[in-house]
This record gives sequence, C-alpha cells and structure tokens, in this order.
Amino acid sequence: MTTLDHPGNPTRIKPTFLGRMHEWIATADHKKLGVMYVTTGLIFFLIGGLEATMMRWQLAVPGSTLLSPSDFNRLFTMHGTTMVFLVGMPILLGVANYFVPLQIGARDLAFPRLNAFGFWLFFFGGLLLYFSYFGAQGLYGMGSAPDVGWFAYAPLTERTYSRGHSTDYWILGLLVSSFGSIATGINLITTILTMRCRGMTLMKMPLLVWLMLIDAVLIMIAMPPLAAAQVMLLFDRLLGAHFFDVQGGGSAILWQNLFWFFGHPEVYILILPAFAYVSEIIPVFCRKVIFGYPLMVAATVSIGFISLGVWVHHLFALGLSPMVNTIFMGSTMLIAIPTGIKMFNWVGTMVGGKIRFDTPMLFSTGFLALFLIGGLTGIMLSVVPFDWQVSDSYFVVGHFHYVLFGGLVFSIFAAIYYWFPKVTGRMMNEALGKWQFWLLFLGFNLTFGPMHVSGMLGMPRRIYTYHADRGWDLWNLLSSIGVLVQIAGVAFFVWNVIHSLRKGREAGADPWDAWTLEWSTASPPPDYNFEEIPEVYSRRPLWDIKHPDDPDWKYE
Amino acid sequence: MSTLNAQPVGAPTPPDALPQTLNSGKCGMLCLIASEITFFGTLLAVYLFYIGKDPVGTPTPAEMLDVSVAPLKVVFNSIFLLTSSIWITLAVRQLARGNIKAFAVWWLLTILFGLEFLVGTGFEWYGLIAEQGFTIRTNLFGSGFYTVVGFHAAHVTIGLFLLSLVFVLTCLGKMHQRHTEKVELLSWYWHFVDGIWIVVFTIVYIIGH
Amino acid sequence: MTSEDRTNPNREGIELPAPTSAPFVCAFGVTLIFAGIVTNWAVSIVGFVLGIVGAIRWWHEVLPDNRKECLPIDGRRPTIEVSPGGVAHLMTAESPHRARIPLEIHPYGAGVKGGIAGGIAMAIVAGVWGWVDQSSIWYPVNILGATVLPDFAHENATQLAQWHTAAFVLGLVIHACMSLMIGLLYGVILPMIPRFRLGFAAVAVPLIWTGLAWASLDIINPLLNQQINWWWFIGSQVAFGLACWFVVSRSERIGTMQNWSMLERTGMESPGIREMGGDG
Ligand code: HEM
Ligand SMILES: [Cu+2]
Repeated sequence: MTTLDHPGNPTRIKPTFLGRMHEWIATADHKKLGVMYVTTGLIFFLIGGLEATMMRWQLAVPGSTLLSPSDFNRLFTMHGTTMVFLVGMPILLGVANYFVPLQIGARDLAFPRLNAFGFWLFFFGGLLLYFSYFGAQGLYGMGSAPDVGWFAYAPLTERTYSRGHSTDYWILGLLVSSFGSIATGINLITTILTMRCRGMTLMKMPLLVWLMLIDAVLIMIAMPPLAAAQVMLLFDRLLGAHFFDVQGGGSAILWQNLFWFFGHPEVYILILPAFAYVSEIIPVFCRKVIFGYPLMVAATVSIGFISLGVWVHHLFALGLSPMVNTIFMGSTMLIAIPTGIKMFNWVGTMVGGKIRFDTPMLFSTGFLALFLIGGLTGIMLSVVPFDWQVSDSYFVVGHFHYVLFGGLVFSIFAAIYYWFPKVTGRMMNEALGKWQFWLLFLGFNLTFGPMHVSGMLGMPRRIYTYHADRGWDLWNLLSSIGVLVQIAGVAFFVWNVIHSLRKGREAGADPWDAWTLEWSTASPPPDYNFEEIPEVYSRRPLWDIKHPDDPDWKYE
Repeated sequence: MSTLNAQPVGAPTPPDALPQTLNSGKCGMLCLIASEITFFGTLLAVYLFYIGKDPVGTPTPAEMLDVSVAPLKVVFNSIFLLTSSIWITLAVRQLARGNIKAFAVWWLLTILFGLEFLVGTGFEWYGLIAEQGFTIRTNLFGSGFYTVVGFHAAHVTIGLFLLSLVFVLTCLGKMHQRHTEKVELLSWYWHFVDGIWIVVFTIVYIIGH
Repeated sequence: MTSEDRTNPNREGIELPAPTSAPFVCAFGVTLIFAGIVTNWAVSIVGFVLGIVGAIRWWHEVLPDNRKECLPIDGRRPTIEVSPGGVAHLMTAESPHRARIPLEIHPYGAGVKGGIAGGIAMAIVAGVWGWVDQSSIWYPVNILGATVLPDFAHENATQLAQWHTAAFVLGLVIHACMSLMIGLLYGVILPMIPRFRLGFAAVAVPLIWTGLAWASLDIINPLLNQQINWWWFIGSQVAFGLACWFVVSRSERIGTMQNWSMLERTGMESPGIREMGGDG
C-alpha cells in the first residue's frame, strides 16, 4: 500500500495557486465537480441556517420586534428556496457525480463537459438569486430579496402585488440553476444506462446507483414543468401576459397545480438520495447484505411513479371537489407503502447484524428514527379533514423538517462521514463526530418537535410574530433554544472537517471494510478512477474478492 | 492480493451488461427529448385549460387566426416543416454511405425548408401584431398563443442554427462518414421539433379554434 | 465506451477528456443573459457574446472529434486483502446458507385471533370501568363513538351513560378495526423482538400508546379528554396486550419461504423442485 505524501496528484509538480484555480475552473472531472457541488451546497447550508436562526430569534418570544415583517418574509422565502434548490439539489447531484461512476466501474460521466456546464449553471444561478439582496429594486430604491415564499403563489407574484424585481430574481435564479440540474440529471441517466462495467447487470447495481437513476428520471420529468410555469410567470411580469393574472382571467389555482406538480416530485427527488446513502451505509456497518434487494428496487421504482400523482395533497385546503380530494388522499397514502417497505428492509438489515456504531451508522440510525416520525405525520396530513385542521400551520413545518432535515440532512452527514476518507484520503474524527451527532439530534428534536404542538394549537406558519395570550410561548421558546444546540452541533462539524483535512488519520483505500467498487481504488482516487476497468460477478464485488471461499455470486 | 478483473474459478462469465443498441449519445438525446416533451406538455396543458375561459372575449382565436393568418398559409408552412424531416433522413442516409456531396444537398434542403417555416411564422406574427394589434398582453388567448408558438419557433431557430453549423463544417470538408452518429442525433432533435409542431398545430389551430 | 478501451492494454497512460474552460464561460454567459433582464440590456449583450465565445471553444473541443488528454498511471494501486473464513453465518438445517431472520413467523391468522382476544379483554376492562365509575357499561362505548361524532363530546355524564345505537355501532366498528390491525401488527412484530416479548406487548406498547393518546387528545378534543380516566385506560390497554400476546405466542410458528423457489412460492405443482434446489 502506497503512502500519500500529499493527497491529490502525487506525480505532478505542486501547482501554483492560480494554476490550481484554473484546474478547478476548467475541470471536467466528475470527482472534482462532485467536490465542488458538495462544498457549494454546504456553504449555502450555512447561509440558509443563518436565515433560519434569525427567524427563530425573532419568534423566540411573543411580540418581538427584532425583524420587520418584510424582512421576515424575505428570510423565510430565501431560507426555503436556498435549502431546497441550493443545498439539497447540489449535494445530491454532487454525491451522485462522485460515486455513481466509481460504483459502476466507469472513468467519468457520459458527458463530462456537459457535467461541468451543469455545475456552473447551478453555481451562477445561486449567485444570481442571492444578488437580489443587492440588485432587486425595492420600493425605496433599496435592494431586496424575494418575499413571496418558496412556492411563490399567484397572484401575489404578479406585477401589481410584487413591485420591483425581487420575484424576477427568484424566477431567473431558479431557472438558470434548474437548467443545470436537468442537464446533470440527463447525464446521470445516460451514464448509468450505458457505462456500467462488464458484469454489472441492472440487478447487480449498488442501490445508490438504482436510487440515483430513478432520482434523475424524476428530475428529468418534474423540473421542466417548473421551468415552463416560471417562464409563464415571467411573461406575466415582463411582457404583460395574463397566465396567472386573476383580473385578466388567469388562474391562481393553476399556478398551485403547476408548482406542486413539480413540488411533490421534488421532495422525493430530495429524499431518494437519502435512501441511497443509508442503503449503502447500513449493510456495511451491520456486516450483512441489504435485506430484500429486489424489493428495494421495486419500491424505488414505484415511489418514482406514485410521487408524480399525489401533488393535490398540497391543495387540500383549496376547496376542490370531495372526489378530487379523496382520490389524492388515496394516492398519497399509497406512497407510504413502498416507503414503509424500505423502512422495514433497513431495519431487517440491522436485525441480527454485528452493528458498529461509527458516526456514519449513528447518523443513519438517526435518519431512520426521524424519517419515521416525518413519514407518520405525513400520513396524518394525507387525511383530508385532519389536513384542513393543520394545513398552513406549524404542524406542516414540523412534518417537512422531520423528513427533510431529519431525513435528508442527517443522511447527508452520514454520507459525508462515510465517504470523506475516500474523497480526501483522511478519516474524520470519531469523537467530534459523536458530539456533532448527539447535539444535532437533541437540538433538532427540541426545535421541530414542539412545532407539532404549536401547530395543533393553531399557530399559522410564516407569521412574523404572535400575541402572548395564545399559549404558543413555551413551544416557540423551546424551538428557538433548540436552534442554539443545533448551531453547536454544526460548529462541531465545521471544526471536524477543517481538523480532519489537515490532521486526520490516513484512511487507506478501504477503511470500513466495504464491498462496492469505489473502495477498490486508492483514496483519493486517481483521475482515471481505475487503472483497469473492473469486472463484477455479484452485487458486492469486493466481498467476492475478500472471501473467495464464500462468494456472493453463488447465491444471487 | 487479487485483482478486480480476474474471473473467480467457477463463476459464470459475465455477459456484457450493456445493451449494444443504446449508446451514450442516443440515450442522452432521448432524455433531452423527454424533458422537452414535459416542458411543452406543461405549456400545452395550460393552453388547453384556458381555451374558452377568456373574460375579455375578443378577439377570439377564431377571429384572429382566420383574418390574418388565412389557415391555408399555416398549413402551407407546416408542410414545409414536416417534409424537412424527410430530407434530413435522406441526408443522414447519404452520409452513412459516405456520400458527402449528396449529404450536403439534402442537408441544405432541410435548412431551407426549415427557414421557410420560420419566415412564414414571422409573417404571421407581423400580420397579427402590426396589422391587427393583437399581442401577448391583449388577452389570455394572446398570452397562450404567443408563448406556445413562440417557444416552438425558438426551438426551430436553435435547430436551424445547429443544422447550419454542420453545413458550414461540411463545406469546410470536415464532415466524414464517421460522424454519421452525431449527425443522426441532431436529426432526432429535428424530428422532435417537427413532431411537436403537429401537436401544437392540432391544439392551437384546430381544437382551440 | 467501446470494448477496446475497457481492457486498456495501453500501459503508458489513460485517456480522459481534456480540461476546458468552455463550460464555465458558456454558463457565465447564459447567466448574464438572464441577469440582463432584471438589470440592464447591456449585461445581456455581454452575456450573449460570452456565451458565443464559450460555445465556439466548446465546439473546438468536440468537433470534429473529442479532445482527450493522456494521464500517466500514478501507480497507487491498492491491494484488496483476501480474508477467507472468519465470517459468521446464520445457518440452520432448513436454510443451508445465508438465512434471513426471522426464520420463523407466526401465521397471520394468529395475529387476527390475538386481535380478537385482545379486543374482548379490553372491552371487558372498559366495561368494568364504566360500571364501577359511572354505573353504565355503555359509557366507554359512547366515548369511543364520540371520537368521530363531535356532538357527543358536549353531552354530560348522564347522557353518555345511556344507550345510543349510532354510537354503539360506530364504537363497535372502530374497536373491531383497531383491535384487528393491532393484533396483526403484534403477530408480525413479536417474532422480531429478541427479548422481553411479554414486556413489549403488555407494558411498553400500552404505555406508549396511552401517552400518545393522552398528549394529543388534550389538544385535539379537550372536552372529550375530560371524560376519560387515564389509569383505567392504561388498564384496558394492558389487558389487550396480555390477551393478544397470550394468543399469538401460543400459536404454532411457521418457517418463512426464504429458501423456496419462485415456483414453490407461486404454489405450482411440480414435484422434485425442492430437491433440485430451485433458483434460490
Ligand atoms: C409518507 C410519506 C409522506 C406523506 C403521506 C406526506 C404528506 C404531506 C402532505 C399531505 C402535505 C401537505 C400539508 C399541507 O400543506 O397542508 C405535505 C407537505 C410537505 N411535505 Fe410531505 N409527505 C410525505 C413525505 C414527505 C417527504 C419524504 C418529504 C421530503 C423529503 C416531504 C416534504 C414535504 C414538504 C416540503 C411539505 C410542505 C410544503 C410546503 O407547504 O411548503 N414529505 N406532506
Ligand atoms: Cu407532497
């Protein structure tokens, strides 16, 4: 085993700073782009977190005047938009970028230059969105960010109600970055379908690859309709068209349908990668094969299908006909079946396993617990009468943070702890990792658990303050205190990354004794990934090599 | 020590996992077309949704599309666009045979036919906007009409641009038989643009009429 | 990727797409075109020019053929340690290899029976409470009905003690459905619990369930909440758990179908399949 003097490219002369900059800007390498995606996503995560902190600070006590109402509107709009489009999307695309080619034994994505193009579109789109803080002409000539909520309901977004350019920035920034996502989605589909190494039939692909395939298909199907809707809105605002202009006969309900036709698949676009990471991590740390691989694949495909047909559950409070509501209530509940199958398969993998609770596994277990709660509140929300009671309240905020933060973000941390050694050649620190996990777990539940209560007590979402006599004080205070604990947790993470990059223990090629192809190459992998393109005989090629007396291919 | 591509004793020789018929280029182009279809699908769904819902009423699709366009003209233009699909197929076939000159001729014909369609649309719009004063802000029908037809025209423009690029390269003598694959993919895109026009035409000029 | 470069006989280096700044320039141009819409048309012009510049560079990369660079092999080639043996197998006589747990389950019928038994036991305890506390065994039935008939919650204790047909039918249906569902769940989950099955069935689940009901009912329907005696509530849940556990755990366990072939699972008649080993 060769030692690494300086991770990167040992055979080259150490480049200058400008040289290195140029290397990153001009790269078409899927690994560099993957790192850039994830890093950008994490930076936006800190920004979005800052916005959330300011909102919770304002809401900690009743009648607070720290923020003006319009600042508050901008904060929740930018927070939601950032977390979905500038944190979730780039991180999931980045991890897929890095590990899909490695896991299928390829040297790059199918279209490397398109891949770079996709990343830069995302990057500049994000910058354009944030430039609105300086550029969008507000009423008094000051810049201002979008303030119409992340789903930008019409007719609030029409020229009459949203003056200046803030909403235009929301449209344009997202348009640009979603073009990038669509391009990368297409790239991933093509890579997975046409570039697998010899022997890797579809049913021998690692689950991460399967999940990212379905994810990319959802991106390809669901994001263009959002672009179309945004273009129509843009025409309304700039050219005076009437699509969503209610005075001119346009329909506000149509916007809601169009947005959520994208929006619900989008939340599954965000959660499928979380499923992907834990499906890779749990078997390795339980020393067992994943329970029910074919069923996992089937559940993934059916989630993909069903998620395209449930969007009206975001519109229950709209007063559509009972027939429509009932149909979508049914389809929404249906999606819990494949999701439940997955939960059982993960637990089934753990049962009887020799579990090692290293940080990646801790975060994966946290994911299971929190995502379960979020899934259950989701099923509660799919019941129309109950939804009428709590729609647009903090209960819904609690629900989607349990699935998105408890689900997606926890699994992202699991993935970072798991693959950091592969990407950098160094291990992350376990002790700091455990601190981070427990602080985050505690803080998370302290923040978002009470929201279910304040929501049931009638507290609407997106209000900038409230009266003291509503009985919401305690719950809001708890939520805000939880944020402080979470900040401590995230601080441990940042510390851990910086510390481990410089002083982390050397990882070697395969620190977790894992089984998929990415662990067969050096850490960090050479530019060409594999000196020789591998051949596989089962779903766990490295297992076969490590245990020639008991290979998997005999039983698959 | 063991390598990753040594076949274990007794293991079945792995089949080549990849279907021979689907290579990266084709797969990518099909995906691009799929995502374009959902884009146009959304615009067209909105157009269909708004048919007959215009509170302003006048001008109605029937009035506008009859007076200035004279349906015959649109049909005429459409025939040009649709036949260009035939010419591009013939062109690709010639290139596959290595017949560069014949390729160039059919390719040029495709471009000219596409151009005719674009110019035709231009005249139609000029008539509507300048002579009838019917614009995107007039009413819901105007919004939908210009958006749908406009996005289609934009796709034709992009297509023509790419086609011309290939033509220029051909004239410079840089096109060879081995490029058949790339050129064929471009022709798929062109077929898609034509196919979408059939749907747009049906919805805007027949159903919505 | 063609099959030639897959085996890569070329030892000197490996060809990869050459780095290029074209995508960066192009993407920046596209963004500026859009940014111009909300700032100044001049920005769009600059963006357009940049976009074209980027596109031309891009074409030079891919037309007429993709540009590649040849990277030297850096020799860091990790070895994969072979470690035969040392694998703990889950094996039984039935499943020659790689069994999946649980190996045996209770039949679904046991869950159904357990649910029925539990439902009866629970009803008895609830009835006793109604009799002792309010001297009416209809009281608990009416309260259950009140969860879906909102008007009921406003009634006072004497009204709730009387017979109401609607409440009785509704309460019975709700009770039967819930009992069956939870019985089925018990039947499925109990074999998965490694230890303390009785504690799980008769203590943990009743307490958790009561806690949930107690916490949410206070918010959802505070009036109804006042009518309920939570100690008796726990008692009836424990009665359910005990009875259900008793019935389920006395049922005969059956093996899972994990070693069966597809044909056997679908129930096809084909003698000899089992011996041939199936397709596992
Ligand atoms: C068991 C599966 C799920 C069900 C049945 C479900 C159901 C629902 C329902 C009915 C609503 C609408 C509530 C309302 O606005 O009144 C909702 C909102 C939401 N859900 Fe879920 N959900 C599920 C899983 C997920 C997952 C996996 C995610 C994302 C990872 C997610 C993210 C969201 C978000 C972001 C919203 C709020 C959107 C907004 O109004 O801003 N849900 N869910
Ligand atoms: Cu949804």
